Amino acid sequence: MTTVTSLTRSLREAAAQALTSGEAAVVIGYELNDGEAAAPAFVRAPEDAERLIFDESCFGNLAVYLAKEEVRRLGKLAIVVKGCDLRAINVLLRENVVSRDDLLLIGVRCSGVGRPALRKCSFCEVRDPEGCDTVVGDPPEPPPTDPGKRYAEIEAIEELSMEERWAYWQKQLGKCIRCYACRQVCPLCYCKRCIVEKSTPQWVETSPHLRGNIAWNIARGLHLTGRCVSCGECERVCPMKIPLGSLGDKMAKLVDEWYGFRSGMSADEKAPFTAWSPDDPEPGIL
Amino acid sequence: MAEFKTYQVAAGWLESVAGALREAKVDVLVPCEEDGCVDLRSNQGLQALPQGYLNTVLPVKRVLMPASEVLLEYERQSSDITLASPQEPAPETVVIGCRPCDAAALEMLDAVFEWDYEDVPYAERRRRTTIVSFACTEAHPTCFCTSVGGSPHNSAGSDVLVYSKSDGGALMQVLTEKGAAFIGKLGPAAEPTDAGPPAPPDVPEKFDTKKIKAWLDENFESDFWVDVSLRCLGCGACSYVCPTCHCFDIVDESIWNRGQRRRNWDCCSFALFTKHASGHNPRPVQSARCRQRVMHKFKYFPERFGRVACVGCGRCVRTCGVGQGLVSILAAMDKK
Repeated sequence: MTTVTSLTRSLREAAAQALTSGEAAVVIGYELNDGEAAAPAFVRAPEDAERLIFDESCFGNLAVYLAKEEVRRLGKLAIVVKGCDLRAINVLLRENVVSRDDLLLIGVRCSGVGRPALRKCSFCEVRDPEGCDTVVGDPPEPPPTDPGKRYAEIEAIEELSMEERWAYWQKQLGKCIRCYACRQVCPLCYCKRCIVEKSTPQWVETSPHLRGNIAWNIARGLHLTGRCVSCGECERVCPMKIPLGSLGDKMAKLVDEWYGFRSGMSADEKAPFTAWSPDDPEPGIL
Repeated sequence: MAEFKTYQVAAGWLESVAGALREAKVDVLVPCEEDGCVDLRSNQGLQALPQGYLNTVLPVKRVLMPASEVLLEYERQSSDITLASPQEPAPETVVIGCRPCDAAALEMLDAVFEWDYEDVPYAERRRRTTIVSFACTEAHPTCFCTSVGGSPHNSAGSDVLVYSKSDGGALMQVLTEKGAAFIGKLGPAAEPTDAGPPAPPDVPEKFDTKKIKAWLDENFESDFWVDVSLRCLGCGACSYVCPTCHCFDIVDESIWNRGQRRRNWDCCSFALFTKHASGHNPRPVQSARCRQRVMHKFKYFPERFGRVACVGCGRCVRTCGVGQGLVSILAAMDKK
């Protein structure tokens, strides 16, 4: 049995309070699980808030549940968010998938998840989530790595020659079995009908051969350009260990360079592909 | 019927038998590790793992029922359609080093693919594939073979069962004619022995399948399904890594007037799986889909084939990104 930290205690109190006061019908948080990662928990009664935990096993980005019909049907949602997850919620807010009034945000100050900490945590600038209804936890430690290193992984791939990159991605995407865990775990892949499910015509081949896999992963990468918040969930859940985070990072890096934009930093932001401005430099248009 | 015996071999047996088989143009698949993933691979340039790995990321199912296979090729010219069989027949294949749970799953796939008629591509591969399993020397906390009638030393579905020794040698229990032919490749290096296998590692039983079946019989409609499916994100990871899941989709992929008809893995967790052309979906919510997956494995399959469609490999538990453990669902039913 793990000891209950003061962070977990405050989290349970905040969750119980939200349920008792009626501010929320369900609190989406984390609970203990047999495996390496804590599991999502849906707490509907104040006394069940005792199931909630927060520690370095709380990898998952719970924002994925906000667009899920079965979960929304439970009533007003409260959700436990790390700063990185809040970036995904900011995108859901800016894209009008959820409304801020229908959401109670219980922020947790986080000094990194994973043991050792995940790569994204090492340069995380959003350890103290802003704009939540409640925030629990002690002030987080500063990230150990310079945030300028956030694109280091993709820069290493960019240094390869075109042929080497092609060989690398053929090998990696050749492994894909099209289980769509990447899509299903993605908080921003909320389309009711995914392009891969559209069959008249079949835009993307569903067969897990290289051609179909490349089409699928490029389609997904493009749909997430300027939206992906690099939470890394796609790569974490991929059973074939495909470095999917690198695809998202590449697009994030381009959008950062071209538009000076990083997705999900606030709910009020104007995203490059969904906002119009007369002084748009339009560097993405050939 | 030949007499199947137990043999002992010294260290180096794997390299020598794999070499001899490759010379005979046999496709040899062994567990190899690459990019942090252990999988069955033709191990050119990769070091085979003789033991000490938990299991391969994908089950041996994928050798007999590939994630994607060509069923036929077609070409259309005005009103004529020419059909052709896929290029080459399945090669002679030897899988060395799958786990007993994965091999046992082949008996379940056999039951399905030989049920009302023989599935030709599956049966052809099955005939041409020899399964040499490695008995488990340790169990992972997610393993539950003993709860579904298996064991770390289960010989079901294998042609040879290998008990690896710490010095690199092994005891080999020959179980079929194909297994005898495999041992034959080792020549005099394989000596008959009266030695018995070591004790299997302990795998605690986690639930009783009879109690689960009894609960499922009565609870098609239950709030339980809604509660346990809230977490489920509806991806296909658990099914695709499952040694017994065998649902498939058939698609035509064409460029202009020619194309291929392919069979691909499919999964009952997907919303699209049961969606009709009319737009109606008889399993419109994830709870109905989660229920289907459990019902198929622990109620419908036993009713049709007399055994559960699960071998307890634990991959679904290890693979699920949101901790939707099949074992915890089954254990909860067991306690009801």
